[in-house]
Order: sequence, then structure tokens, then C-alpha cells
Amino acid sequence: MSLISIHSLTKSYTKGKSTITPLENLSLNVPRGEFLALMGPSGSGKTTLLNLIAGIDSPTMGELEVDGRDIARLSRSELTRWRASHVGYIFQLYHLVPILSAFENIELPLLLGKLTKAQRREKVYAALELVDLVDRAHHRPSELSGGQEQRVAIARAIVHDPSLLVADEPTGDLDRESADAILNLLQTLAREHDKTIVMVTHDPKAADAADRILHLEKGQLIEQGGLNPAAENTPSPAPDHRL
Amino acid sequence: MKLIALALKNLTRHRLRSLLTILGVAAGMFLYTSVETMQEALAKATQSSADDTTLVVYRENRFCPMTSRLPEHYLSTIQRIPGVRQVIPIQISVNNCGASLDVITFRGVPPDALRQYNANLQVIDGSYEAFTMRSDAALVGSHFARRRGLNPGDQFEAVGVNVYVAGIITSDAPQDDNVAYVHLPFLQQASRVGLGIVTQFNVKVASSDMLDRVATKIDATFKSDQQPTHTRPEKAFFAETAKQMIELIGFTRWLGLGAVLAVLGLVANAVLLIVRARVKETAILQTLGYSRKNIATIVVFEGALLGVIGGLLGVFGAFFFFIIKSFTIGNEGLTLALAPTTSVCMSGMMVALLLGLIASIYPAWKATSQPLIQSLSAD
Repeated sequence: MSLISIHSLTKSYTKGKSTITPLENLSLNVPRGEFLALMGPSGSGKTTLLNLIAGIDSPTMGELEVDGRDIARLSRSELTRWRASHVGYIFQLYHLVPILSAFENIELPLLLGKLTKAQRREKVYAALELVDLVDRAHHRPSELSGGQEQRVAIARAIVHDPSLLVADEPTGDLDRESADAILNLLQTLAREHDKTIVMVTHDPKAADAADRILHLEKGQLIEQGGLNPAAENTPSPAPDHRL
Repeated sequence: MKLIALALKNLTRHRLRSLLTILGVAAGMFLYTSVETMQEALAKATQSSADDTTLVVYRENRFCPMTSRLPEHYLSTIQRIPGVRQVIPIQISVNNCGASLDVITFRGVPPDALRQYNANLQVIDGSYEAFTMRSDAALVGSHFARRRGLNPGDQFEAVGVNVYVAGIITSDAPQDDNVAYVHLPFLQQASRVGLGIVTQFNVKVASSDMLDRVATKIDATFKSDQQPTHTRPEKAFFAETAKQMIELIGFTRWLGLGAVLAVLGLVANAVLLIVRARVKETAILQTLGYSRKNIATIVVFEGALLGVIGGLLGVFGAFFFFIIKSFTIGNEGLTLALAPTTSVCMSGMMVALLLGLIASIYPAWKATSQPLIQSLSAD
């Protein structure tokens, strides 16, 4: 069953006097629990597609259903509420709040709910344990390495248990070793925690960690390939995620 | 509550920026509270009420106690005028007739008549008996005593008059807290005015609606005398005699308004800078599911907290400053004690809170109006 169902999706906007269409008439289905990589040159529309799937932008035309909800029809405030419970976003540059500790950054999505302090604490520590950073809970982002920061960002993205994770070049700013650990973590989340992951990347090696790789060019899918043989052969990641 | 905690973290973890803004707000609110204290003291001294039944009989065309001289024997004539309940002759001696922040005022009164005339006078330290027993004894107003560090048993000298402190007094009338009451004959001799001469008569009439009638009658009685009089209700007398001081204090209202505008601008600028520095951070929060209302709430709380914390420092700083310094502004022998009240402090805190909230409205709107995609790609 598809978690994401996209049909004839178009996104265009005006810049000055010209109209730009980064995505045109795109259709795509992503099954629940799949780890999908989106590749393509700069300006191909992959980040636009990611933002539409994550509900931080709205399409101009077409249908976009996530987890049975047509998010293309939601208002700005409805999209905000929907994001709070359904999506976890992982950025290339982590984007942690610098004045908050790792614990407090991860806690941010939970502050919107009705959980007690103890319940929030329990969830934050569960997320920290998953990314293997319990011992860094009270460190500020400036006291963490890039890989550790990205793991905190992943913990923040999963702490409220969303069904969908979107990641925009999550390994783009990391060295190879740290990048591999992050990719292993994403694979674990997809395989063991049934998270659907859509990842934008330029890095073929990062894309190899995904179950499926799609290529975009000029706003259209040029290749809707089958399952990624590299990922199928990848063994389940080792439990040690230390970077 | 969770959003307030987040706003508080934003402020406490940018300590220097928050501290500088809070200090600016505190300085503005200190000025505002000082001005309001002066305005309130002035209002109390000059605005008449239905309970006012006191007239002041002064020498016509005289404005300073050094030049107002009336024969003491007018007393019995005034007492016979219909509507007059009580009269007390007062000799006033001051160190400075001009505007000053440290006016020392002696009021010479018949010692036995003082308590009878002013029933609200309370001796809070020392005794009234000690005052009546010594000719050089003085009952010193609590404000005056605090300013000069005086206690019963002390001796002090001012305006060439050397007195013994018999007691410390307080009263409903603010003027009483700023003067030293001494024996009338003693002051007449010590100040070389001479026996039989007083500065003014304070007259109590039976009811406030009789004030004008009795005042007219008193002035008419002495119109053809060598020392004609000008009689006015006590608060009108204050308003007319201390005109320059009142104009000066009235002007300070503009300073208060300036302080309020400065605080408004400062908080608005600080919060706007905070918001501009956090465009991306705000976008991240929105990506995490924070609504525009949530973001605006955080921004407004930050502004309100800056206002309230700065307000607390400024308002209570001014409160304790005035208590410690015990300022008394005087002009033409009349004094105005600058004592802050709880109502001034409360209004100061309300103003600080309102300024913080108002100053945050535009930054809050600014923080939430930019499209999310645009904010996410901001540098």
C-alpha cells in the first residue's frame, strides 16, 4: 500500500515576468516503509518535490496524497498541523537551534503536544538512544561534530513518531565515515521502524543505501526504476551507529 | 507555558543582548517612575477635593515667607468671622525661597495649639510632651528626619536656628512630613522677625462650601489695614505660590512621555533584531509544525519579558532610590516630598508590560509573514 501517492503534480511560480515550472505533470507512488532516493542535477525539481511531499509548499496542480490525506488541498495552517504529526524533516545543514542543547532540540516537536514533562523526557531519551547520543544529551550543537549534529537532527525528526521522513542531502556536509553511519541509521529506520523515507541526494553512494532510486530532470521523472539491487544486498546495518 | 519557557530560554541564552536591552528598558522606566512620582506628588498637593476645608491667609502681593509679614493679633479678628472653626498663626523660616531639592522649613506655631489644630499629627518617635516642655524643641517631619538622619534627642542647626529634636511626626498632610514644627515665640526671636509677627494664618472652616465666602470676608476685613491679606484655599495657595516649581514639574511629563517612547523603540528594535537573526530558526520551527500563532506567541513573550524584567528593575530602582534619598523639592517655602507610591509602581509595571507587548506586535507579524520556503533558503 502506498504511503505517498502523486498524480499529475505540477508546481510553478512566477519570478519577475517569467513563469518557472520546477515540476510538471509528475506521478509517483511510494510504498509504506520504502527508502526512496531522488537524484538529479541542480534545478531538476527534486527539492521542490521533497518540499511538496513534506507539506512545506503547495502544488499548483495535481493530486498529492500522503497517508490517505490529500495534502494539496490543505490550507497553510492545516498543513502546519499535519506536518507536526506526520512528517520529520532532515536538513543538509542539520539546522539545530544553536542555543538549545541536543535534548532541548529533540524535544521541540513534542512541545506542541499534550505530553507531560516526564513523557517528553522518555521519548527524547528513546530517540537519543536510537541515534546513540544519550551521553551528548546536554551538549549544545557547537559542542558536537557534524555527524553528531545530523544524528540529533534525525532524532528530532523521529521523536514524534511520524510515518514519513524527508531528508534533503542529509550526508551532503559530512565525511564518508559519518555519511555511512547516517545512511545506516536511515536504513534502520525504514526497515526496523517502518518509516517511509524520501531522500534527495547528489551522491550515488548515498543513493545506493536506498531501496529505490529515481532520477529527475527538468521537473520530470526520467527513470522510474525498480528496486535498487545495491540496497537489496546491503545487510541490515550494524547496531553501532557511532560516528 | 511551554512556549513561555522557550521564549525565556531565548532570552537567557543570549545574555549580553538581553541584559543590554533590559538595562535600556530599566533606565527608561526609572525616568518614567521618577516623573510619575513628581506628577503624583504635585497632584496631591494642588488638586482640591471636597474634604478640603483649610484656608491660608497670606500677606497680599507676597510670595515668599521671608516677605509675608502679618500681625499676630489678626488671630482674634479672624476667629470671630462666621464659619471659621479654628485658626493657627504660623511663622515660617526657610533656608531658600527659590527652587531647591533640599529645602529646610521651620514652622513656628503656638505649641499648645498644634495638636488641637492638627488632630491627624502622629508622633511616631519621641513625645509631644517633650516638645511642649522645651522652648527650643522641635517636632520633625518623618521625611525631613530621614533625609537629615535625625532622631529624638538630637540637636541640629539650620537657617541660623538651633533646635532640639523632641519627636518625629507624620501626618495625612504631605507638607507635615517635610517640616520642623517649633515654638512660635522661639522662631520669631531666633529668625529675628520679632515677636508679634507671623508669616501666615491657617484657617479651618466649618465646610468646604464656605471656603470662598470666608476667604472673601477675611480679605475684606483687612483691606484697609497696613498689612492687607490674600486668602486662598490651601491647595490653590500652593498652586499659585509654587507656580514656577509646578511649571517645571509639569514639563517633566514630556520627559516621561519621551522615556515611554524610548522604551517602546528600544524593545521594538531589540525584538526586531532578534527576529531578523532568527529567520531560519523560525522557519525550522514552522517545518517542525509550529504554527504562525505559536511563533508570534514566542516573539510577543520575549518582548513582554524584556519589558517586564526591565520594568521591574527600573520601577523598583526608582522606588528605592526615592526612599533612600528622600528628595524634597521646594519653592517659596513650600515643599513637595517626592515619595513613590504603590500606585505609581503598579502603573509603571503595567506600562512596561504594555510597551513590551506593543513593541513586539510588528516583529511578531514580521516573523510569521515570510513564506516558509523563502525563509528556509535565507542566508
